[in-house]
Amino acid sequence: MVFKNEEEMIVLKNLTKKFGSFTAVDDLSLEIPDGEFFGFLGPNGAGKTTTIKMMTGLFAPTSGSVTVNGFDIQKQPLEAKSTFGYIPDQPFLYDKLTGREFLYYIGGLFKMPKETIRREIDKLVDHFEIGDWVDKRSEDYSQGMRQRITIAAAFVHSPRTIIIDEPMVGLDPRSARIVKDSLKQKSKEGAAIFMSTHNMEIVEELCDRIGIIKDGKLIFLDTKENLHHHKSKFDGKLESVFLELTK
Amino acid sequence: MALIVHIIFFKTKMFWKVTTARTLQSLVKNTSSFIVFGSFAVGGFFFARFVTAYLLHDVHIGLFLFHRFISMMLFVFFLAINLGNMVVSFSTMFRSPEVNFLLTSPVSHLNIFIIKFLDNFFYSSGTLFLAGLSVLLGYGSYFGLPWYFYLFAMFGVLVPFMFLAGCVAVIVLLVLLKLAEKVSFKGLLALLVVFYSIQIVLYFTVTSPVHLVQEVMKYYPNVNVYFGYLDPPLTKVLPNYWAAQILLFFVAGKFTVVAGYWVMLLLTSIAAFIFMIAVGDALYYSGWLTSLTLRFFSSRSGSAKSPVFSFEKRSRFEPQAEVLLKKEFWQFVREPSQWIHFAIMLVLVIVFLSSISTLDLKLESPPLRAAIFLVLLTFNAFLMTSIALRFAFPMMSLEGTAFWTLRSAPVHVRSVYWIKFFILLLPLIVLSLCTAVVSGIPYRMFPMLMRLSISVMVLAMVCLASLNFGLGTYFSNYTEKNPIRIASSQGATLTFLLSLIYLVFIISILFVPLELFFRAVYLSERFHSGTLLAATAALVAVTVAASFAAHVMGVRSLRRDF
Repeated sequence: MVFKNEEEMIVLKNLTKKFGSFTAVDDLSLEIPDGEFFGFLGPNGAGKTTTIKMMTGLFAPTSGSVTVNGFDIQKQPLEAKSTFGYIPDQPFLYDKLTGREFLYYIGGLFKMPKETIRREIDKLVDHFEIGDWVDKRSEDYSQGMRQRITIAAAFVHSPRTIIIDEPMVGLDPRSARIVKDSLKQKSKEGAAIFMSTHNMEIVEELCDRIGIIKDGKLIFLDTKENLHHHKSKFDGKLESVFLELTK
Repeated sequence: MALIVHIIFFKTKMFWKVTTARTLQSLVKNTSSFIVFGSFAVGGFFFARFVTAYLLHDVHIGLFLFHRFISMMLFVFFLAINLGNMVVSFSTMFRSPEVNFLLTSPVSHLNIFIIKFLDNFFYSSGTLFLAGLSVLLGYGSYFGLPWYFYLFAMFGVLVPFMFLAGCVAVIVLLVLLKLAEKVSFKGLLALLVVFYSIQIVLYFTVTSPVHLVQEVMKYYPNVNVYFGYLDPPLTKVLPNYWAAQILLFFVAGKFTVVAGYWVMLLLTSIAAFIFMIAVGDALYYSGWLTSLTLRFFSSRSGSAKSPVFSFEKRSRFEPQAEVLLKKEFWQFVREPSQWIHFAIMLVLVIVFLSSISTLDLKLESPPLRAAIFLVLLTFNAFLMTSIALRFAFPMMSLEGTAFWTLRSAPVHVRSVYWIKFFILLLPLIVLSLCTAVVSGIPYRMFPMLMRLSISVMVLAMVCLASLNFGLGTYFSNYTEKNPIRIASSQGATLTFLLSLIYLVFIISILFVPLELFFRAVYLSERFHSGTLLAATAALVAVTVAASFAAHVMGVRSLRRDF
């Protein structure tokens, strides 16, 4: 795969999304460089999922732009989409396909050779401890198993950027640990990770930088190191900073 | 009872709020729906009036024969409602999340059963009521019948008739599910298909339309006499016969006879409803449990066994096209409601074709020849319309909530659209070619008609597939998993009506050239092939325009936010 040689892997420039008179995302600008693990926080309805949907091409922005690995998602959607892996907030799969078929399906959409897909599937099934479930239809899966398959699908084409909306929903502690470790590893390997979540512990554990969005506007943006300074103003908890800022 | 009213009240309220939402989009949608539904009703009125006038005044077939044709149509109508309700009921009564929710609340399973039956019946019969009313208006206006005829025919005859078909459907379904606890469900379905096919073949063998026409026409021009002795005893116990008799004797002014048949129809409908409730009370909950087991077994059958369509196997297709093709294939064959419905429709097509391939037309009248040729052609196209509506319209919606995989993948949604369309078009074209060839057999002595039949059917299929797929994409509902509900939604109804308008256009544009052609054959008049060419050119133009418009709407709608 050929990537544009850009230092900033994800660039959001004056991104705005309006639904009629309601502004869901308001003039949002962000830059996430190579290897950074970015945590995107905000209360319900703040505009997190809308932002992610614009980043992945599921929503068209009203104005502004999203660039992923140097490709504008609106102007060069295929190039941009071929460079990232997306994990949605709800792990919707095709009920009638087995996990293995779904992963082959995703591999085919990314035009991967069969042999590479097979190798990657074997690796991912083992890594995410999917086991025999991979050959059962997804209509029989639990929420957690669906989530594991969705995460495996995002990893199957070895993306350079990962965009995640609420990754730990439905995962048991062991699966959550595996996912956290996998994401950390990807970040160490140089992938930019953009993660939206409500889980403060995960943010504190994994993220290098944190952004908080409220009513569509970015109200906080800082590194984990500087965050400690903010935390000390309260009771030492990120949760308190979050609650104060989003009050 | 109070609980049923309470739930129905909130369901109606919800439906009302959805359909009358005060947004610009809703206003445009409702206005266009009103225009199309209104045009359809007006078209249905004029069409019914024209056909009635044509058969009674021009061809002079007589009141008796005319109402026997109505009886035959009502028989097919009864079976169509019956089968349709059975398939829809299986989805709404046993596979609906709403039922799962209601079963966890303090509502008895009998109340849930009644609510779902009524919901199902009125939801899926709206268009049929409209069609019935417009046809009744056309029919009644020809005879100059009083206003109360329409109220009586609509609510006293048509509604109980359809209600009876719905009740019978649900009873059969519940019995099937009960039997499925012990016998293979697939075997039972095969038995059901054979059972319905035998009914159709038996009915048309017993009634023998050709023999009936020949017998009545022996008395021409005194064909307005009542030839009741020609009616086989078996048909007299069928509700379609009662309904046709009610209409015949109403026109003849013999209201005591009307009352007799009406009471019979009404009492049978009420009895069927009471019996259905009793069967529902006894079998609904156990049937629901059985349906869970059916789902469990159907989903356990594992991954792709066929080496041809295995995802792991390499193919000559481009990777994206290959995986899309395989996904469509497995989604279709692993969803029982898809292939079972397809199999039933295929059997109906085969039964219809086997009946008309042996048809021996001995009519010399050129207009009647032209009319029958067009009726066969239209019926073929109508069958294809039903298949297209059922399978093409929901195709994009069935991507469901998993559509995010395609929208966030490096693939043009436009390519996805066209790949899906061609996957659909190919089998439909093959099917339409088969029907065109077989239904051309009675006219095999005229090669030109065979060529025309094939060309028109292919053109019609392209247009019908485009309309249904394009508008199905435009009206896509990714949250509805049930293809039958998608195919009976408001958008689907609108598409169906547009398809019917297209079929009426085919009939009207081809009638004159065909009548001229038969005049040339039987009355040795001159025939200018230019009239047929002009009609075909107009048909091509409309087909291209309609298909293009539907595809533009479909492709553009895929760019909407997901």
